[in-house]
Amino acid sequence: MQFTSESVEALVEQFAKLPTIGRKTARRLTAYILKMSREEVVGIAEALVAVKDNVTTCTVCYNVTDHVPCPICRAPRRDRSVLCVVEEPNDVLAIERTNEFDGLYHVLGGVISPLDGVGPEDLRVRELVQRVHDGHRDPLEEAEDAPAVAIREVILAMNPNVEGDTTSYYLGQLLEPFGVRVSRIARGLPIGGDLEFADEATLTRALEGRANL
Amino acid sequence: MEIRSLHIRGVRAHADSQFEFTPGVNLLHGPNGAGKTNVLEAVHYVCLAKSFLVSSDRYALRRGAEQMQIEAEFHTDRRGDEKVRFIYVPGNAKRVQVNGAPLDRLVDVVGRFPIVVLAPSDHKLTEEGPDERRKFLDTLLCQASPAYLSALVAYRRVLKQRNELLGRRAGMRREMLASYDDALTRHGSRLVVRRARFVEVFSRHLESAYALMAETTERPTIEYRTFANKEALADEETLKADYLERLARRFPDETQRGITLTGPHRDDLVFRLDSELVRRYASQGQHRTFVMGLKLAQYFYLHEQLGERPLLLLDDVFDTLDPGRMATISDLLAGDAVGQTLVTSARSDVFADVLPFDGNAASSIPVDTRSQNAPEPQT
Repeated sequence: MQFTSESVEALVEQFAKLPTIGRKTARRLTAYILKMSREEVVGIAEALVAVKDNVTTCTVCYNVTDHVPCPICRAPRRDRSVLCVVEEPNDVLAIERTNEFDGLYHVLGGVISPLDGVGPEDLRVRELVQRVHDGHRDPLEEAEDAPAVAIREVILAMNPNVEGDTTSYYLGQLLEPFGVRVSRIARGLPIGGDLEFADEATLTRALEGRANL
Repeated sequence: MEIRSLHIRGVRAHADSQFEFTPGVNLLHGPNGAGKTNVLEAVHYVCLAKSFLVSSDRYALRRGAEQMQIEAEFHTDRRGDEKVRFIYVPGNAKRVQVNGAPLDRLVDVVGRFPIVVLAPSDHKLTEEGPDERRKFLDTLLCQASPAYLSALVAYRRVLKQRNELLGRRAGMRREMLASYDDALTRHGSRLVVRRARFVEVFSRHLESAYALMAETTERPTIEYRTFANKEALADEETLKADYLERLARRFPDETQRGITLTGPHRDDLVFRLDSELVRRYASQGQHRTFVMGLKLAQYFYLHEQLGERPLLLLDDVFDTLDPGRMATISDLLAGDAVGQTLVTSARSDVFADVLPFDGNAASSIPVDTRSQNAPEPQT
């Protein structure tokens, strides 16, 4: 087999490195790029480099951001006494889309999983305990002795699987001495779903977590 | 329930085979190596998403085939007509589609199309170690209860994580173990309480199965052996407390050996005929009857729990039976006690005197894949 363009092959290779992209899709994307205008392609290339150059981690909540502290941690009107703990930055987006949560976040960076060699020291667990201990200090406040807002509640929003479960339990125990309310998001049926079509495991969970009327 | 048709591609002897079934007895016959058992294997795959013969799906894949694809048409009383497709491509996750829509989780197919398999390897149930008996318990209970299935999946995962944690002594911290103890005892207690309740109900079915099969007056019993006392099995909460205490007591042993020593993963079932242990005292014939009794009881249990008659798969059982037992089983299949059955045999005349092969109540299906497996013509 002979390649007519090494540049095309190189791009296919690069695309194929991405998750869920196989060689076939990589070829399709490359063919599409070839047809795009130069400006459009430059736009993509610049956006790619920009995420590497500009994006950093918020020193307060450990979410991804262009500016430290991140806009959520800086927002004056959010409730600083409530923390929602999530696994990954994408989970923050998911909860933000609800427009129902106005507290702050704490991004753990994963879950505890001995099988994958991930322990609490590999996650932002110590940082979480520190935050709960210190309370929330306005990140833009220069004065050292500015009053901190005490954390009242920590909401654990891990994924509903074994690792999410055990990580939640572990965090619950760690936070117990601080006397804050620690809660877990409920699991159950999706809204707009039909009871008849719910899978049995979800339905069982929903029955177990039933609430009084 | 009923299986109406089966299309097999890429399973051992079958490059591409198509079968139609009748609601009664379907006798799959043909020469050795023709792929009769592979037909049952394919049915097992669409019903439970796994093999009943081999530990790895790779071994079930036809040599040289890129993928395994099995399609079946079912009719159940609960859901009506459904088309199921099972797909396995080595290196990728197995997939199941029901009526064209993929299932979110593979395990969601379990229990939709209940089946009971009786195969030559089942002699291990009464003769070998507890692994086989736990597998029997789990396969049965998973089909009967989705809650059991999800508890089992979770339990196995927690057990793996916990063992990993116990194994690394240096990095192990007691306070980390607590979260695994909580999860282990929560899921584990659910399994144990359900197993205990199951054995009570199942004993009754085992007795009725025996009454149908054996001419003897021996009474079969089944006893559940687990780590907890009977009183602790009252409910999941009580058991969980008891289980946690036991874990705490064995903590030094566990850290030393690096594995979890208490839990349903070490359960066993004890089989007896009257007061004698089957494993130790039963004759070959008694072993065979007991295994068949277990399978029939499994059939009755699933029927009762699901309100649906399971599909019965009998692999090669007739070729080793004495004429007396053979007659009993044939009568059973011809009668109303069981519904649709798929039977494999090297002989086409096993039911000659019992069942009329009119294509209605019984169907005789030749299996021959020789044309699919002919050597490539030399050029």
